Amino acid sequence: MDVRIFQFNGCNKCFNETILLNGESKYKIEFIEDPKNWKEMKTDVSVITGYLLPEDKDTLEKIKSNSKRVVGYGNCTTMGGIFALANQRGYEVSPLSSFIEETEKVNGCLGEIEELSVAINSEAAPKLQNLCAVCARETTCDYLESVHRQIELEDETTCFNDLGYLCNGFVAKECKERCIDYNAPCRGCKPIIDRSGIRMLGMFGTLMGNIEVATEHSELGATDKLADRDDDITDSLPDVLGNFFRFTLSTSGLPRGRIPSSGNILNDVFTGRLIEELPLISGLLGGNRSISLTLKIIETYETANSIEVSEQTKKYRKELLDLESQLQEAIKSKDPKQYKKITDEIRKIGGNMNLSNVYFGGFKAQIDDKDNFEDYKAHVFDVVEGTYKNGSVEFTIDPIGIVKEIKIKEG
Amino acid sequence: MSCEDIEPEVMEKIQDIVVFMCNECGQGSANTAGVARMAYNPAIRIVRVQCTGQVGPIQIMDALNNGADAVACVGCCLGACHFFNGNILSMHRIKLLKKVFKELGYSDQFVNQYTSRAAEGETAVGDFEDLVIRLSNAIREEGTIKDGC
Repeated sequence: MDVRIFQFNGCNKCFNETILLNGESKYKIEFIEDPKNWKEMKTDVSVITGYLLPEDKDTLEKIKSNSKRVVGYGNCTTMGGIFALANQRGYEVSPLSSFIEETEKVNGCLGEIEELSVAINSEAAPKLQNLCAVCARETTCDYLESVHRQIELEDETTCFNDLGYLCNGFVAKECKERCIDYNAPCRGCKPIIDRSGIRMLGMFGTLMGNIEVATEHSELGATDKLADRDDDITDSLPDVLGNFFRFTLSTSGLPRGRIPSSGNILNDVFTGRLIEELPLISGLLGGNRSISLTLKIIETYETANSIEVSEQTKKYRKELLDLESQLQEAIKSKDPKQYKKITDEIRKIGGNMNLSNVYFGGFKAQIDDKDNFEDYKAHVFDVVEGTYKNGSVEFTIDPIGIVKEIKIKEG
Repeated sequence: MSCEDIEPEVMEKIQDIVVFMCNECGQGSANTAGVARMAYNPAIRIVRVQCTGQVGPIQIMDALNNGADAVACVGCCLGACHFFNGNILSMHRIKLLKKVFKELGYSDQFVNQYTSRAAEGETAVGDFEDLVIRLSNAIREEGTIKDGC
């Protein structure tokens, strides 16, 4: 079977993952990194990865007319993904279905390779349960007293939402990456329902029922109305878009943002996010360089605010960096065995390919049973206003911890 | 300021305001206003719901995406929800949705929540008037929700 895999814009994490299909003899795979200059030829299955902009329309139609079936792989293609957060600043990142009629789609950040092979072979997709059904934590769904931004690694049996951390597990499918195993609440990259972000917004709004909401006297109506000033609701969630619409902004039905853009999509994705979210986002979208970018952001902040980092943490971080350079070689040689081996090692330390385990001050979950977890346990840190700079990364955060400005030099 | 002071070019942009009114106080006060033959802005379109707690971001965004210029919920007075606390829960969700609009660079006056008293028709009519005035201010400053989409 002829399979052609196209990488459009954005990080190439999903594109790299398709290397794993390279080893299977039933496919004749061709990787196309520059779809614009692709010489048209008939193909059985076309797999599209990466985020899509309006200018890609012609290329996509060309691919569609030459292929028997088209499969969208990864969140960026199917729902806009993390890059759709730039729509807040006027970009038009759109899902594949708005350009061409796709036959199959595989959600997820990173999309699961097993699901992709099922879609390529046009077999029936396995029925997956809701993430909460397979989560070890127990929920009571009581109203929250307060919402917390940074996770404390103490209670490991109560639902994240009950503890006051926003977890998108309610609207997500079970998955392989399982951020919840590494004390990172689910980010909802694999929604189980349509318009998951906006439904989660309603759900979490209800959970916040006990938190004070500001009302004011309405002069004309002589009764009460919702006040315009900030209150505990808005203060406890400083970045609603980044929390609820992390992957689904372009398919959520919200209007396109009108905030002026900085001109660089990568910077626009990061601007407006929270400091504690930065490693999670850079882990998602750094592509080949995600590990070094994530560690650079973390270390910049740690050094500037003298957050103590243990030797063990440094050792593990060093290992991750070494693995990154090995991974790049494996990607170059397109060797599935080598790729699998290295990604397994990265998953062991970083939790998953999105580096859910990596955090400020250490790691969120125990890496090896032989270790003493206390040696490298991440802890809650203070948000300190200021500008942080280290080589290719420079960012400014405001007193609440929102990133006001960020500059990332590629490479 | 009252509705009469709004310039015709701004008023032209206010065609449809969907107002979800709860079956108890909200709809009750609208009925009382009707009995007393009180006039209100013709752009107001009332949708009767059992409780404003039923109305979530999905319904509000559906209304806005299908052409409404603004959406509001009118529920019972605080502490007087005929169910348990539907009006308060609705307020929490609308507050979050308002923040989403702000983060996207829009005015937060496209969604609002009011309360009214069933026995007093002027509360519902007053809410409608307040709604139109706030919306007209938002349109004058930042344009309608359809601008830039």
